[in-house]
Amino acid sequence: MDQLAARSSMIHNMTPLSKLWIAVFYILVTVSFHKYDISGLFVMVLFPLLGYQLSYIPVLTCFHKLRVVMPLVCAVGLLNPFYDRQILLTVGTVGISAGVISMLTLMMKGVFCLMMSFLLVATTGITGICSALRQIRCPEVITTLLLLTYRYISLLLEEVSTMTTAYHLRAPGQKGIRMSAWGSFLGQLILRSMDRAQGLYESMMLRGFHGEFHSAAENKGPRAVSAAVSVICSICVLACRWYNIPALLNSLVMF
Amino acid sequence: MIQFDHVNFSYTGEQPVLQDLSFHIREGEQVGLIGANGAGKSTLMKAVLGLVYPQQGRILADGIPVEPANLAQIRKSLGYVLQDSDQQMFMPTVLDDMIFGPVNYGLAKAEAVKKAEETLASLHIEHLKDRYNHRISGGEKRMAAIATILTMEPKVMLMDEPSSSLDPRNRRNLIRALKTIPVTKLIAAHDLDLILDTCTRVLLLSGGRIAADGPAEEILRDRKLLEDNGLELPLSIGGRSGQ
Ligand SMILES: Nc1ncnc2c1ncn2[C@@H]1O[C@H](COP(=O)(O)OP(=O)(O)OP(=O)(O)O)[C@@H](O)[C@H]1O
Ligand SMILES: [Mg+2]
Repeated sequence: MDQLAARSSMIHNMTPLSKLWIAVFYILVTVSFHKYDISGLFVMVLFPLLGYQLSYIPVLTCFHKLRVVMPLVCAVGLLNPFYDRQILLTVGTVGISAGVISMLTLMMKGVFCLMMSFLLVATTGITGICSALRQIRCPEVITTLLLLTYRYISLLLEEVSTMTTAYHLRAPGQKGIRMSAWGSFLGQLILRSMDRAQGLYESMMLRGFHGEFHSAAENKGPRAVSAAVSVICSICVLACRWYNIPALLNSLVMF
Repeated sequence: MIQFDHVNFSYTGEQPVLQDLSFHIREGEQVGLIGANGAGKSTLMKAVLGLVYPQQGRILADGIPVEPANLAQIRKSLGYVLQDSDQQMFMPTVLDDMIFGPVNYGLAKAEAVKKAEETLASLHIEHLKDRYNHRISGGEKRMAAIATILTMEPKVMLMDEPSSSLDPRNRRNLIRALKTIPVTKLIAAHDLDLILDTCTRVLLLSGGRIAADGPAEEILRDRKLLEDNGLELPLSIGGRSGQ
């Protein structure tokens, strides 16, 4: 993630605050769509797609990295078709129930919001997001917590990978980790990551840490441009919410 | 600059790790700390930084007692290179890590970056500047960790095994850089040649006690003393040749 955030593109160069604003605004608006308004909602996918294009991050990266979370988000609406059986529209001879539509909109909302959040983190980095949060007077406790959690999670994952490697090197041909080793494995994992977390925290304190991480990479883009872009984006997002663009286009063509 | 008065410390409460330690390191002194594995070198350094507190005795750093209330002030003048660089580096890139300390102590970011670049140049590791901390080799990480501390320009430098996992050239660059920095230094190392090159005084630790304290030239030439305490003569003085 840190590597994605360190690249350079139009989106990367925007100030963190404007990106945070666009992402939050987009998510709020997307969630506010009516549960049967599938055509209107569909247009919203354009924003994240455009974002991925402009920041040169393949959309697939997002789906790959979030492959664990995506199915969960999609599973949320799975029961809707069973509750809401009223027929809303018919395609040919097949009637589509309201439940199916609302399930689809729910899934789409979830996926779009995830795509946008991922884009935000991937182009801004966790330090950038936290500095933006600090700008809007978010309490330092929260941003510090966020930063440290982020660091500790990566540390935990690192520890897991080192330990599994060490295990497999001495247990060739074994699939997974043997049941009997799980207890000591988990125990060691917790102790080791706690030790490392403690060590890292100490070395932060030794270098005068007081709640903020500074990144050497500056956002080069001018503030005014970022602000203008975020206003324009907000207006576009709102327009998509107010007008049903596909219906509008349709009526234009008919006319 | 650093003063220990009858310091006793134990991690568990049973096995003593530091026993009745007393010594005084004056400003500008370059002191080598040697001793076998488990002698208590790292623990001694942690005690100076207030990462562990002695059960008995008193420690002064820069004339200030090492106590929780004074830690922020004390740590500002101390730079500590940890034995394990993995614990030292926590920012995404080497440069980010290097400016972390200076910026926290109030330096403008641009100035901190400039200072970091100078340090990298003095250690001949400019190529590491924008590398990711989790994508560099053990020795590279070691050099980067040392660079992060040098950038802080501390009044006292505490280094735990600075030359471990360094190749000969990097080791030489490190020694050269250390020699040009006139600040007070306490260097713990098994690399006795490095100590001989960079330090004028040596503290020999054994089982948490000071077994010898004197000029580096004298102690590092004393074969019997070193061997009695689980060490060997430095190679440059003829270590191993007599075996
Ligand atoms: N966190 C800890 N808890 C309990 N005992 C510890 C802890 N850390 C170190 N010790 C013990 O304290 C003693 C001194 O350890 P220390 O790390 O200071 O040795 P050292 O001189 O730095 O050794 P080395 O040359 O291997 O780095 C050792 O016997 C060690 O087992
Ligand atoms: Mg040690």
